[in-house]
Amino acid sequence: MDFLYAVTVAPLLDIGQDPTFFAEVVIGGLMAGVMYSLVALGFVLIFKASGVFNFAQGVLALFAALTLVGLLEGGLPIIPFTDFKLPPLPVPLAMAATAVVMIVLAFAIEYLMLRRLVNQAPIILFMSTIGLAFFLEGFGDAMWGSDVKSIDIGIPDASFERWGILFNQFEIVATGTAAVLVAVLAVFFQKTRIGRALRAVADDHQAALSVGIPLKTIWVIVWSVSGLVALVAGIMWGAKSGVQFSLSLIALKALPVLILGGFTSVPGAIVGGLIIGVGEKVGEVYWGPALGGAIENWFAYMLAMVFLFFRPQGLFGERIIERV
Amino acid sequence: MPKDTSANQTLLHVDNISLSFGGVRAIRDVSFEIKTGEIRAIIGPNGAGKTSMLNCINGFYHPQEGTITYRGQTRKQMRPHDAAAQGIARTFQNVALFKGMSTLDNLMTGRILKMKGSFLLEALYLGPARKQELEHRAFVEGIIDFLEIEDIRRTPVGRLPYGLQKRVELGRALAAEPTLLLLDEPMAGMNVEEKEDMSRFIIDVNEEFSTTIALIEHDMGVVMDISDRVIVLDHGEKIADGTPDQVRDNQAVIEAYLGVSHD
Repeated sequence: MDFLYAVTVAPLLDIGQDPTFFAEVVIGGLMAGVMYSLVALGFVLIFKASGVFNFAQGVLALFAALTLVGLLEGGLPIIPFTDFKLPPLPVPLAMAATAVVMIVLAFAIEYLMLRRLVNQAPIILFMSTIGLAFFLEGFGDAMWGSDVKSIDIGIPDASFERWGILFNQFEIVATGTAAVLVAVLAVFFQKTRIGRALRAVADDHQAALSVGIPLKTIWVIVWSVSGLVALVAGIMWGAKSGVQFSLSLIALKALPVLILGGFTSVPGAIVGGLIIGVGEKVGEVYWGPALGGAIENWFAYMLAMVFLFFRPQGLFGERIIERV
Repeated sequence: MPKDTSANQTLLHVDNISLSFGGVRAIRDVSFEIKTGEIRAIIGPNGAGKTSMLNCINGFYHPQEGTITYRGQTRKQMRPHDAAAQGIARTFQNVALFKGMSTLDNLMTGRILKMKGSFLLEALYLGPARKQELEHRAFVEGIIDFLEIEDIRRTPVGRLPYGLQKRVELGRALAAEPTLLLLDEPMAGMNVEEKEDMSRFIIDVNEEFSTTIALIEHDMGVVMDISDRVIVLDHGEKIADGTPDQVRDNQAVIEAYLGVSHD
């Protein structure tokens, strides 16, 4: 009886008693959610264009963050057998250089990996992304070392109060960035010819080729864009919790977001991320004590499982159609 | 009745093509030509190299030997999207549609190469971009009327029965306004009625849009009825080439299809 009261009535009473604190919790959740959305976005892009779950997306974010830190710190011997070392670059230059690296990486992935796997089953492509993940992790390690690094791109991590609610400046910048990114991507993929070409490539490689869609170009575009999204995600996460190899595990957090939002929907990735972020925080603060605490760790997966029962295509995903 | 196209210009020239996969020779030294405006059938037993031949023509495969001359341009290799850009459209033996999209979107995708314009305008869906989208839409609606698939316009094609999927696939190929249309077994798996419809569409496409058609088909009745000239392949080699009547009476063809006793 006590337990029932603790999980049904008590949390609601708590919320009613201190709505300002509740608002703070929700806002904190939204901010965390934006970070999840950023990671999930990269997955959605590649899934839309190849029907493949890109296992390497988390590592891509890690790789981008490592590269950025490396360039900011400088000291990379870029010309072998000489003493010339790269000087530390200023923030904008380092970011631009990292963006270029991610685009070059997209070309390399297309040339060395995807081109050879045209018309293969999605599971084969999936396996190749696992290989890519291991390669990038090793390559990043060899290039930049495996120490935990901090990343400072000049956004102050200070808090301020407004309307009696505490805000964090860094999180607001992160949210703004994500919002802009999403708006641009939504327009790019839904209103242009590329969007249609993208869906076509995801559905059937051969057919896409036969109507004149250059598969390779589409792949390079998609991997570049998702590399850039990974860069943004890597910066935000890296700035928050340090650039370290566990960063690649944020991919795991993106999974429930994708299940919630649908693998094929850009808005879905956003809404899914926000729901998970808010759900986690609110759950932890109000229901956590009754359930033994630390529910933040499993709440997202639980929610995803419930969704799989009732709406396997996610909130915004395309209906799953199969003729039998 | 086959029409006489012997005076027409040659649209496509295949010269001494050979194609092999590892040790398997799919096509051996085959030559033929397709004239503008004709319906050219490619027939032969299973594994004769018919689909491989279409795949060479639209650039999926690159033959190790020989050349293909299309509209006066000779080339050894061509990428599929180049072939599409030059007016070669095709359908597939096992329907290759964009299954998640509606019939309309499939046809619009077929028109993708006809669409041009500024990226930014398109993104904002403004002015010329909007006008363009509407024009393409109008063209596609014309094809939908032509193929009598108005009622499935909005249906995701994955849900359609096989016969209709084949028809949508033909529609997508037509949306590109092809000069040369390659059809790989357009009537496979259809019942008699559906076959009759499909035959009618193929003849109409050929006559009304004056599209040149190369098709692979197993139904001999259909082939003899609708094609102007027929190529017969067997084990990757060309064994006959001529009008339906000539081919029907050819001894090598009869043997390839019925088998022959070697005693």
